[in-house]
Amino acid sequence: MRRYARTLAIIVVIAVIAGLIVGIQQIKIGNFERGGDTPLGLSLGLDLQGGSHLVYQAVDADTGEAASPDERQMEALKESIERRVNASGLGEPIIQILGKRQLLVQLPGIRDLARAKDLIGETAQLVFRHRTLEVARVIDELTEEDIVSVELGLFAAEAPPEGVVSEPAETPAAEAEAEATGESGGTEEASTEEATATEVEAETPEGLPGLFVEFTDDGAAKFGQLVDRLRESLGLDEENNPVEADVVPFPSRLAVSVEGIESRNFELGYAILAGPLGLQLGIDPRTPVSEPFIKRIEESNTYVLSLGNVAETLTVARETFGDEPKVFFIEEIQGKVDEDIGLTGENLANAYADQHQTTGLPIIAIEFDIEGTRIFGELTERIAGLSDHQVAIFLDEDELISPEVTTAITAGTAIIQGRDFTLDRVRDLALLLESGRLPIPIELIAERDVDAILGADSLSKSVVAGLVGLSLVLLFMVLYYRLPGVIASVALVFYALLLLAIFKILPITLTLSGVGAVILSIGMAVDANILIFERMKEELRAGRTLMSSINIGFNRAWPAIRDGNVSTLITCAILFYFSDQLGTTAVQGFASALAIGVLLSMFTAIVVSRTILRVTANTLLSHRLEWFVPSGGADLPQQRAAAPVAQRS
Amino acid sequence: MLDFVGKRYWFLLVSVIVIVPGVVFLIIAPGLRPGIDFTGGSTTTVAFKDDTSQEAVRQLMVDFGETDAVVQNFGDNTFFIRTKELDEGRKNALLDLMESRLSPSGVELLSFDLVSPVVARKIVVNGFWMVLAAAVGIFLFIWWAFRNVPSPYRYGLAAIVALVHDTLIVVGIFAILGEVAEIEVNSMFLFALLTVIGYSVNDTIVVFDRLRENVVLYPNRSFADTVNLSISESISRSLNTSLTLLFTLLALILFGGQTIKTFLLVLLIGVVAGTYSSIAVASQVLVAWELGDIRRVFRRGRSSQAAAAE
Repeated sequence: MRRYARTLAIIVVIAVIAGLIVGIQQIKIGNFERGGDTPLGLSLGLDLQGGSHLVYQAVDADTGEAASPDERQMEALKESIERRVNASGLGEPIIQILGKRQLLVQLPGIRDLARAKDLIGETAQLVFRHRTLEVARVIDELTEEDIVSVELGLFAAEAPPEGVVSEPAETPAAEAEAEATGESGGTEEASTEEATATEVEAETPEGLPGLFVEFTDDGAAKFGQLVDRLRESLGLDEENNPVEADVVPFPSRLAVSVEGIESRNFELGYAILAGPLGLQLGIDPRTPVSEPFIKRIEESNTYVLSLGNVAETLTVARETFGDEPKVFFIEEIQGKVDEDIGLTGENLANAYADQHQTTGLPIIAIEFDIEGTRIFGELTERIAGLSDHQVAIFLDEDELISPEVTTAITAGTAIIQGRDFTLDRVRDLALLLESGRLPIPIELIAERDVDAILGADSLSKSVVAGLVGLSLVLLFMVLYYRLPGVIASVALVFYALLLLAIFKILPITLTLSGVGAVILSIGMAVDANILIFERMKEELRAGRTLMSSINIGFNRAWPAIRDGNVSTLITCAILFYFSDQLGTTAVQGFASALAIGVLLSMFTAIVVSRTILRVTANTLLSHRLEWFVPSGGADLPQQRAAAPVAQRS
Repeated sequence: MLDFVGKRYWFLLVSVIVIVPGVVFLIIAPGLRPGIDFTGGSTTTVAFKDDTSQEAVRQLMVDFGETDAVVQNFGDNTFFIRTKELDEGRKNALLDLMESRLSPSGVELLSFDLVSPVVARKIVVNGFWMVLAAAVGIFLFIWWAFRNVPSPYRYGLAAIVALVHDTLIVVGIFAILGEVAEIEVNSMFLFALLTVIGYSVNDTIVVFDRLRENVVLYPNRSFADTVNLSISESISRSLNTSLTLLFTLLALILFGGQTIKTFLLVLLIGVVAGTYSSIAVASQVLVAWELGDIRRVFRRGRSSQAAAAE
């Protein structure tokens, strides 16, 4: 009994939470925002709720006047906008070509109208970019103007950073001091030059040669950001401790190029990397780990950059770089960098799915216009045969494909092949390329609010009718099944509450098709209850006690409920998967609404109804067996012991 | 106990009587009458000078013969109406009717355009493949779920036969309604059909579940008797479940709005067909298979093939 009471308490808590979710019009917790001024705050489709009615007109790119596009261009325009609205989660739109040069777009709800207009207004932008894998980039945002001075000096290896740099007033002095000791340190080091590098570093507590770079305020801020980015990309926190479980796919490296008598490039930051991560990156593991390679002298704009093994002593450093070294910063990015080359969808004349002439494998054929042919030719001549260069193709900043170039293509027609290309994938990609081909620029010419397709008046009638229907169902259950019917009714109310709460939270956009799914899942919830009660009734007639009838009734009904629901879930999964594949997003909404409904209906019948029944069976009500059986217990065992079902027990 | 199994040829006859005319209408053109979701048509934006309501405009469109018209309210007595393609004469007739019936002070035509379909026809083709894939999935699942009874794949196939039976009934009836009452099929029809398929399979499985239990419980009974017993034991549940659904649907159809009646009608027909087919089709296919009826019919000739499938 106690166990059931606890389950019952949990159910009540869930019901209260669901009730609050449904009851509170607008839920706002931080960034999480649900609800609005719709009925119960549910997000509703165009058929159930009004929305925005937008009319776009194709315009001539040059004159800005109405253009005369052909049918194919309009179809492509429609497709690209459909694709964008679907991908944006603005809800199921209605998009129709209006007349010869207009496009009608209806969107459900009006919450994101500004965003919707932005999204639709921009014509699909197909961009070809030159992709380079693993590149070094001179950081041009940090110029000579950001650097006040560069000096060579010495800083202590063992002393904590504060020891060297903490007192701001002493900074110039400390620097001078460092330089002074540097001279002596340098000689000392020179005398032990024969020792191995590690020994030298380990045995010279006086310090290591470093580059003291003083930035302007602006420069220091920019450099600080670079260092932060470096740390972040190496998976380190501010104290240079590894951040756990943070796998960094493409670490960037910060390098400095020092020009003096001789010029050297060296990387900053690998000392902090030494260890497993350093090994991975090919860094000498003997590099002292305790040494921070980049230090900011506190409350100043001066950074000390360790010269590491470029110059092991200050003397060597001075010999290499002279008195006035110049520094440039270089960021090496392991990963990829995409560079615009001025090739866009406007330069694409055609894209279609095809088959390779000799292998017969699916390919995408593309053709450029004159300008495109030139740009594409130049690029491919440069990068043909290089495995670390690619042509990356983006549609509205989503990457479509990034093929390597095998040969220079100067004729303006190219084919794209891929190991994983199937007929479908090739067709889809070609369609996407084509739809992003900037069919025609458009402008918004009309905008207004529009009422639900099904009509507000018609819908409010239907809601009332639906409630009447549900009440009839509940009434029937109570009249026919008596007490269990009452319990089932409570369970169904719980079900409805939870379903609405889930729809609101996820959120699922409810359309008429979703309502169909809900009606079916309510049917299945009722069915599950009926199945259980029928079995219970049989067991009671066979003369079992109430509690064992409840238990056996549930156990006997369970396989049917389970298999029926599982088969529906399989259908949902298949519908969901295929509608994703086939681009019929409307079916997806239906499938997810049905799946949620079915899962909930199982939960309601098996957990909620059963728990309430069990709790009831432990109360005084259980003495009134006839309340648990249809037709007033007229066919309980004492009257009809010979019922066929009785043989079973 | 009622003898359900013995009446299986009567059940077959009933199914044939319901399905065959529908299939005939489906095969002869135009089959299902596609709605404006699929065909596109005209859009008319009109501003009424006098106050009117969406309901009134919709009723007017029905009276004008455009039963499938979609009327959306722009506010300020301005309405956006989607219809089948209207020629110049029809358009003027419509405006005249609007003026005389709803707005004696006059109506203003704000725009009139041809419009493309909302739903590409590919959704129908896609829908077909999805249902086929779902049917295969259901077949395999039932085969597995009934692995403890002899010949479990028969249960899977029988459930699919019932599913096809229900689909044919719904689609066939709408082909007839399309011809007789000019009822059109829009994209909502597809969703309603998917719902019916879900119901049909669920209902069939519940009846089969009883059978699964009884086949093991009474191994010495004849299969036909066991099927009959299982139907008798589960019939009150079958009827009660479909009654509760019918209550809801009937209430919606009788008191609900005009605009979702087609949708509800599909569900209503589907629920009746789904309940009927679990008892009268799916279970009887199993009996016919067990008793060799199917083989006998096949031997008798190709003409009865359709019958055997039932």
